[in-house]
Amino acid sequence: MEFGQSMMPSMLLKPKSNKIVLSFFELISLKIQRINSRLAFVVIGPLVHYLVFKRFRITIENLMAIRRQYKAILKEATGPILVCPNHLTLVDSIIQAVALNSLAGHFFHFRSLPWNLPEKKNFYHKILWRLLCYLGKSIPVVRGASPVEGKKSVEKMHYLLKCGEIISIFPEGKRSRSGFVDDVDYSYAVGHLLKEFPETNVLCLYMRGIKSGGFSNFPMEGENFYFELKLIKPESKENGLKKVRDLSKQVITELKAMENNYLLKGSHANEAVGW
Amino acid sequence: MNEQQVYEKVVTLIKPYAKNQEAFSTVSKDSKILEDLQVNSARLVDIILAMEDEFNIEVKDEEADGIWTINDAVNVIKTKIQ
Repeated sequence: MEFGQSMMPSMLLKPKSNKIVLSFFELISLKIQRINSRLAFVVIGPLVHYLVFKRFRITIENLMAIRRQYKAILKEATGPILVCPNHLTLVDSIIQAVALNSLAGHFFHFRSLPWNLPEKKNFYHKILWRLLCYLGKSIPVVRGASPVEGKKSVEKMHYLLKCGEIISIFPEGKRSRSGFVDDVDYSYAVGHLLKEFPETNVLCLYMRGIKSGGFSNFPMEGENFYFELKLIKPESKENGLKKVRDLSKQVITELKAMENNYLLKGSHANEAVGW
Repeated sequence: MNEQQVYEKVVTLIKPYAKNQEAFSTVSKDSKILEDLQVNSARLVDIILAMEDEFNIEVKDEEADGIWTINDAVNVIKTKIQ
């Protein structure tokens, strides 16, 4: 499936504003970014996999099962997919990317590598970070953006979802300082998106370092990650902003339940699988 | 309910969500809710929903998008309760 080619019946996509208002240049830029990302993946992909699995000896519990489940979800889900992970470290998106598919899997099914929405002020002040974000399928977003800037970012997300691309968005809107899913002071960005695209599936993804876990900039060397995936389709009978809040709450509630499930388990399989 | 009462009620509704509590000593109708009072955008949604409940009104999405200052909020409420 190539970018720009809708992989789902257009009737599944019912944005509130039916028309994409991005300029021709912006649409072409997104297409070019995807092509460049795929080309660069030949170099960046193995490098990232090497750094994660070999240099920092990160392992992921039940890696193969997680990848099988993700593959099955992409195959079976009808409608756009929004990946909604909890957020504890600065490199959650990278860990998530290497966990969800193999190098070859991402390259040959480039759609499986989700787009990310990094905070502009965190990653776009240095040219190298900027370049890596660009090549890593990222769209910068500005927290507290003006309506015009915000609408532009949302339009890009709409366009990507419409093209069958997968977007990863942290539903909490920030890293949880408490180390646990913040089900009180969280963002409503996911709710806004789900309200615009009611047929969107949400892939809730709970990930946590088993050895040290919690909030940190980077996972510890040799960390073993727990992953759990669950596909949900939030629905709400509310209208307007109440619907936005309700949809956001459903996603956070699911993530919280996954976290509680993890904490209740207590012990985990002894054998972790690496690259 | 007159404009001053609506304004005071709006300020009361915003206060629990504002990170910059000191700004309330100089708060005015022109205070920007996100910037001056440091309310994040998700909490602004909570404030608008609280306004809906308080004044028994419904704020449309496009009206919510236009709420940047306390005065914007007061004006939206005023037009709906008249």
